[in-house]
Order: sequence, then structure tokens, then C-alpha cells
Amino acid sequence: MTRHVAIVGAGPSGCFLAQALLKARPDLAVDLIDRLPVPYGLVRYGVAADHQGTKAIARQFARLFERQGARFHGNVEIGRDVPLSALRAAYDAVVLAAGLSGDREPELAGLPLAGVHGAGALTRALYDHPDAGPLPDLGAHPLILGNGNVALDILRLLAKTPEELDGSDLGPRATRWLADSGIETLTIVGRSPAAQARFDPVMVRELGALKGVSITVEAAPPGADDAGEKVLAALAQIDGTATGPRRIAFRFGLTPAGVLGEGGRIVALTVTRPDGVAETLPCTALVTAIGFRGDGSLPTEDGPGLYKAGWFARGPRGTIPENRADAQDLALRILADLDAAPDAPGKSGAAVLDTCRDRVDYAGWGRIDAAELAAAPANRCRQKLDTRAAMLALACRTEETQP
Amino acid sequence: MKLAILYGTETGNAEMLAEDLQSALEADHEVSVANLSDIVPGDLDGETFYLVVCSTYGDGELPASAQPFGAALEAGEPDLSHVHFAIFGLGDSAYPDTYNGGSAVLAAALAQRGATMIGDRVTHDASGPDLAEDLALPWAEAAIAEAATRLGAAA
Ligand SMILES: Cc1cc2nc3c(=O)[nH]c(=O)nc-3n(C[C@H](O)[C@H](O)[C@H](O)COP(=O)(O)OP(=O)(O)OC[C@H]3O[C@@H](n4cnc5c(N)ncnc54)[C@H](O)[C@@H]3O)c2cc1C
Ligand SMILES: Cc1cc2nc3c(=O)[nH]c(=O)nc-3n(C[C@H](O)[C@H](O)[C@H](O)COP(=O)(O)O)c2cc1C
Repeated sequence: MTRHVAIVGAGPSGCFLAQALLKARPDLAVDLIDRLPVPYGLVRYGVAADHQGTKAIARQFARLFERQGARFHGNVEIGRDVPLSALRAAYDAVVLAAGLSGDREPELAGLPLAGVHGAGALTRALYDHPDAGPLPDLGAHPLILGNGNVALDILRLLAKTPEELDGSDLGPRATRWLADSGIETLTIVGRSPAAQARFDPVMVRELGALKGVSITVEAAPPGADDAGEKVLAALAQIDGTATGPRRIAFRFGLTPAGVLGEGGRIVALTVTRPDGVAETLPCTALVTAIGFRGDGSLPTEDGPGLYKAGWFARGPRGTIPENRADAQDLALRILADLDAAPDAPGKSGAAVLDTCRDRVDYAGWGRIDAAELAAAPANRCRQKLDTRAAMLALACRTEETQP
Repeated sequence: MKLAILYGTETGNAEMLAEDLQSALEADHEVSVANLSDIVPGDLDGETFYLVVCSTYGDGELPASAQPFGAALEAGEPDLSHVHFAIFGLGDSAYPDTYNGGSAVLAAALAQRGATMIGDRVTHDASGPDLAEDLALPWAEAAIAEAATRLGAAA
């Protein structure tokens, strides 16, 4: 009797989990369900457009569908198109690998104000996510709040010259927006001291290779552990970089207090320095990169046959490699649970999704993928389709012509 | 001559490549595949030719699955002067300072213990245009041809 496993979310965690399950048990029926018509989650919509090497993991995930027998069901949102209870009734095991798509909101006196943007919303707009809003006006002096790699990604993209984006998959809209941004200074503000910044030192050093920037790093107080030493060394290395006019300033140890506005739009962030003195940092926009949260549409408790994976399980921490290690552990747990119930009643599996209109299968994604690669202009490796309608028009084509 | 493909990986690209190589080579050879996490240096023998495939993490370091093996070599354990290997690296030129450091570290550690490297270390760049298997298959075939003459008539 075939056992059926549904994985909600076709991001890295869902894909690594499917891979581990099918490697151990090729006879399982594994369905990867995503609310987007396209797979791979943040590999496509979070990993920076100029980090194509990291996105190359998608080639590995394609194997899942091409050789390992996993099935993709795109454009199906669990909780909206299909209730979770129906999914659980149809599958032996259901895994929520839905990521965390909401931006964690900063707690700042004076909000809401126009000109304050979450990193998730901004990166989705930059990377042509079909549900993203328009690209905002950041003005000449945006401030980035946050001390992780997402903050560094945004800083780097905003700092790059157009030529430095060659070879990326940044779309025409975002490309024009960046070229016309008029950004003069970029200030990146962290709450913790430099030695505790959660920056990958390699990504810090990457900034030192930019072609049009002048970088200053606020002096760090001594006293760091090994990881901290590496970050400090990387920051010291890029301090003083002077290759062009766009000024980048790293500030640390500043506790955000509030925002000041004029006419409903942000004009400054107020902070408290380590010595207790208040400081006002004027800005034309504030980008907050301080973490992510769920949108509340899926339950966070486990139940019999219900599991969680990836960011949805762990919170918004950890890179793609960490999701793989976690997924391999979870696969063992799921397989043990399946084995412990050998006489469970037979399940119907993917038939429960049959009522969903415009469901996209792997072949449908293949048509989107091929069209995007073919549409790439000379200095880009891909041009993404940026609306659901355009994706579905391609992906569902054959189903329409062969009723 | 028996072949063993050993891989060190963190996100699975090297594992996929190892399996691709096995599929491509098994028509003509007896080929096994193992994760470096599942063996120790003392397991390596003189009758097998080892094709090592290894990625890079952190600051030019070994990927998670190769770290215990690397640490055992470092600890100076067995003499590997009977062992022959070739090595292929996976990396990303987006990390220019530490590009393909993992395979370089592993090659040096094996050589340090006396193992003989056959052919050149060939590297794949995740940001580059080539598919890893397109570079790795010619690397493997050339290395196997050379190893066959060196390891002698055991072939
Ligand atoms: C801006 C940014 C940049 C990053 N850059 C890097 C990097 O360079 N390198 C690195 O290693 N890591 C990077 N990370 C971290 C990495 O992206 C995460 O570790 C990883 O994506 C988490 O995987 P996941 O599968 O848990 O979640 P996700 O990748 O978010 O995948 C979740 C999937 O679930 C789907 N989904 C959500 N709700 C539903 C629902 N109700 N029904 C159906 N489907 C649903 C979503 O559409 C999505 O496809 C970055 C993260 C961000 C935010
Ligand atoms: C967090 C991280 C750090 C990396 N560091 C390096 C590095 O220092 N040098 C390098 O050449 N490649 C580096 N890479 C690229 C990987 O080696 C490359 O993506 C490889 O294909 C991964 O293979 P694997 O999936 O087998 O681990 C890094 C990748 C990640 C995600």
C-alpha cells in the first residue's frame, strides 16, 4: 500500500525533506504543494539576484521531480484553497514547510509612517514576486536597521552600480529603479556591538570589492569571541574602502527608540547610544531587516501525522545548509512514525487537490522556467515572469487545450 | 581496479555529482559511492582508486560531511602512502578569497599523509556557466586512465 506524504511549501526545507524521504523510501508518494505557481521559495525570491551560485541549488531540487518521483502542485494555498484538515485526512503525513513570509515589525514610537519598509516586502518587490507591492521611493539617504545577512544583501544591492548587476536575474523594473535611485548615503544600524553582528564575514568582505562606494565603519569596542573576531576583521578590512561617491556607514550598538515624521513621512530614526546619549539619525526612508514571522494562516502546533520543517519550525534563522541537516533528521522521524503504523487505513493522497483550479504541475513550471531563460536580456541570466496571470497562462496552457 | 567515489557535501551538490559520476562510470567499472562522513582514513586501501568530490564552506573550509574525515587526517593518523586519489572541487567564485578552498584543503591533507594525487585538481564554479558533471566526467575519465597505468594490472 502506498503511503502518502504532503509537504506544504516547496522551498529549500520542503525540497530537502522530499529528497531525504524519497532517497530512503522511493515507493513513497511525495507531493510538494506551494501557493506560488513556481517552486523553490526563497531560493527564487529571497537569495540575492547577484548571488546566482547560491541559487544553483535549484538544479539539485529539479532532480526530485525529474528522477525521484516527487510531484509539484503549484498555485495551491493550504488554508485557503484546501483546508489543512482535508489535507491531513488525505495523507499519512503532512509537513508544514511554509517558511515565514511576514516582516517582523519594529517596536518604535511614532509608527506608522510612510517610508518605513520591511526587508521581506522590499526584496519581494526587487525580485518580482507576484504578490509584491510596488518598489518604494527610498530617497537619497535610506537607513537600514538590522545586523544580519539580509540587511547586508539589501545594502549591497542598493550600493551597486548598474554594471555590477551584470549576470544577475534582476528584472527590468528593479534595474531601472536602482539606476535611478539617487542614493547618496546608506547607513546600516545595529542594536548590538559590532562583534555580535550576525554578518557572514565573507559577505562583509564582498562590500569591499564594490566599485562605487566609500565605506566607514564605526570603531568597535574590543572583546569578542572567535566568530566575533572574524566579523570585526572583515569590517576592519573594508573600513576606508574608497572606490566611488556612494557613502556607506556602519553604526553599531544603537538601540532604536522611535521615528520622527513630517507630513506623515519618516525623516529620522532616534536611537540611544551605548553611553546612554540619545542621537537622531536623519533619513529619507527606513528599511527594517530584523527578522520574519508567520502570517498566522497555518497552525504552529504539531499533531498526529502533522510536522513542521525549516523556517516555519525553527524561526527565521539559518541558511540553506542548515535546512538540509534538519530535513534529514525530520525524514527519519516521519519514516519511523509511518513504520510504527503499518496497518493505517489507505489514504487517497493528491486526489484531494483535484478541485483546485489552475493547479501548476512540474511540466507547467518547466514551461515558465524555459520562457524566463529565453527572455533573458544580454546582461541577465533570466527574466522572471512577474505576475501570476502570466505564469498561469504558460503553465496551464496544455491543460486548457486538452480538456 | 575498483573505483570509489567519496564525496564531502553540505547542501547535496557534491552528493548529486557523485551519483551522476557513478551512473556514467558503472557500465565500464565497479564503482561504489560513499559520503566522507561514513568512512575514516584507515578504510582507504591500495587496490581502489578514489575519486574525491568536495565542496567548500565557511571561509574556504571543508563542508560539514567532510569535517570529521579532515580532522582525522589532520590528527596525523594513518600512513596513506599506498593510496591513490584524484580530486574535484565544488565552489563559488562569489567567494573569491576562498574559492574552492575545501578541495584544496582536503587534497593537501591527503598528500600530507602520503597519498598520491593523480591528475590535476579540477574545480567547478557554481556562479559559472558550466554544469558540474560536464567538467567532472572528463576529469574522472582522464584520472582513471592514468590511474590504470599506475596502479598496474589490477584493472
Ligand atoms: C532575503 C533573504 C535572503 C537570503 N539569502 C540566503 C543566502 O544567500 N544563502 C542562504 O543559504 N540562505 C539565505 N537565506 C535563508 C534561506 O532563504 C532560508 O534558510 C530558506 O529559504 C528557508 O527555507 P524554507 O523552505 O523553510 O522557507 P521558504 O524558502 O520561505 O519556502 C516556503 C514556501 O512555502 C510556500 N507557502 C507558504 N505558505 C503556504 C501555504 N499556506 N500553502 C502553500 N504554500 C505555502 C511559500 O510560497 C514558499 O515557497 C535568505 C533569506 C532571506 C529572507
Ligand atoms: C554559506 C556558504 C559558504 C560558502 N563558502 C564558499 C567558499 O568559501 N568558497 C567557495 O569556493 N565556495 C563556497 N560556497 C559555495 C559552495 O561550495 C557551492 O555552492 C557548492 O556547489 C556546494 O556544494 P554542496 O552542496 O555539495 O555542499 C559556499 C556556499 C555557502 C552556502
